[in-house]
Amino acid sequence: MRAMIIDDSRAMRSILRRIVSNLDFETTEAEHGQAALDLLQAGDVPDLCLVDWNMPVMDGYTFITQVRANPAWRDITLMMVTTESEQRQIVRALAAGAHEYVIKPFTPDAIVDKLALLGLLPEGHEVPA
Amino acid sequence: MTAPSAFASVSALVRKETSMVYDEGKEYLVEARLTPLATARGLGLEQYVARLAFDADERRKVVDALTINETSWFRDHSPYQAFTDVMLPSLLEQRALTRRLRIWSAACSSGQEAYSIAMLLDQHLPAGWSHEIVATDISTAMLDRVRNGRYSQVEVNRGLPATSLVRYFTRVGREWEIAERLRERVRVQHLNLAAPYVGLGTFDVIWLRNVLIYFDAATKADILRRMLPMLAPDGYLLLGSSETTLDLPPDLAAAWQREQIGRVPAYRRAPAMSLTSTGA
Amino acid sequence: MTPELDDVLAVTEDVWTALLGETAPLVPRGVPAGTPFDATGAWSAATTVSGGWPGVVTVELDETVARQLTARMLDLPADATGDGDIADAVGELVNMVGGNIKSLMPGPSVLSLPSVAAGRAAFASDVVEACRLDLLWQGAPLRVSVHVPA
Repeated sequence: MRAMIIDDSRAMRSILRRIVSNLDFETTEAEHGQAALDLLQAGDVPDLCLVDWNMPVMDGYTFITQVRANPAWRDITLMMVTTESEQRQIVRALAAGAHEYVIKPFTPDAIVDKLALLGLLPEGHEVPA
Repeated sequence: MTAPSAFASVSALVRKETSMVYDEGKEYLVEARLTPLATARGLGLEQYVARLAFDADERRKVVDALTINETSWFRDHSPYQAFTDVMLPSLLEQRALTRRLRIWSAACSSGQEAYSIAMLLDQHLPAGWSHEIVATDISTAMLDRVRNGRYSQVEVNRGLPATSLVRYFTRVGREWEIAERLRERVRVQHLNLAAPYVGLGTFDVIWLRNVLIYFDAATKADILRRMLPMLAPDGYLLLGSSETTLDLPPDLAAAWQREQIGRVPAYRRAPAMSLTSTGA
Repeated sequence: MTPELDDVLAVTEDVWTALLGETAPLVPRGVPAGTPFDATGAWSAATTVSGGWPGVVTVELDETVARQLTARMLDLPADATGDGDIADAVGELVNMVGGNIKSLMPGPSVLSLPSVAAGRAAFASDVVEACRLDLLWQGAPLRVSVHVPA
């Protein structure tokens, strides 16, 4: 499985990379939505995108609407990972096509739990207690 | 560090009040959970433990603090899958006349299990059916939490699908409050699993997950024996993923029939039960 | 309208625990009103909320705290963290604190990208302090403050 981590903070990308690498995901990274779209257009299409909301150049919400507008990318699972935590923001992101939503700050277990819900936990990895 | 004698006396207290066993090696847990209580009274941990002998209020708080289970929404995931995919369709067929389901969340802790079930029933129970979820726990503090139905952001981040978060919860300040229509389906009752089960009725599904590990072998066997009549003859009992009926006395182990549903072992009353219990 | 101090503390503790674990607690620190953040070496980061509730959320950290936080986030030894690493990590810290404070206030509002500086925070003359939290972590100071338009 392959995951693309899209966040303008290197520190946050590093945290997320360690969590999904432990689950045997291969990872690529982008520092904003446009850089992520460029990677997709170049053929680097992952199984999962972890997407921050507030980023320079192109925010995560716009990124999600762009991905959902292209049928070639319909198999990508989109999970927002963001400090945006108002109910209306979560509703907006889901309506735009996000499959899941994790609010920052989070513990590694929160990400693993959500991947389990999405059926993306590889064999041999248990749901955390 | 906790002095061994202080640990022993706390461990004896919890055992006396709840039958739960805190073995040596759990000192860190006792220390972590009691230190805030001691600090609140301006006492060191050992002074605080010494005070418990003659302070019933503090004893109640200690029992509450030590019987809280870590929990998350749809914990372990697969039991809920098995509930929705197999148990519920079968029960809908069996109960077509009464159109009523009763579920027991035994040792409900802060209520995530009971409300996870409530969400599934809200989505999957056909119109015209009624249901009741009874949530019991030994901790009155936990029962208050279940009644209030409010969860922190850290808690709603764990295992709760985002669609369910926005569908069933409303943000209230820093917390998220579960919908009234789910709260009114969950009845809360104080219950020590090691004491008699009175006034509960029988259930179609009993969730007894991740609590038997806290009891010694004799109490565990006693609980599972007294669970038999609490379950409808065609009902299901669910245990935690590390818990089994394998280490029970042979007659009791035989009274519970293991049935694998997907990745989850469910336990059902063996048909022979009706023979051994006649004449009672 | 200003955020409750309890809420700011709870948000800060949640962020802290998620990033650093429960190793060392944040401890309240008594600081007289009007005292500038007094760490000898400091980092500061701010994010602006605009819309339904306008405000500025600022985090100021002692250099050693900033360095340890950064090391933990990037999984590096503390002495291997460069200024660019610290700026990035401290910016993400204020993003998390600011976003969670925004969600407690009337909306809808928009959160700006963080701005980070080596040194104490400088505040614009058209805002006033609405709320301030002084804390110690492993003996070193940090401050979270919220400013609103005067």
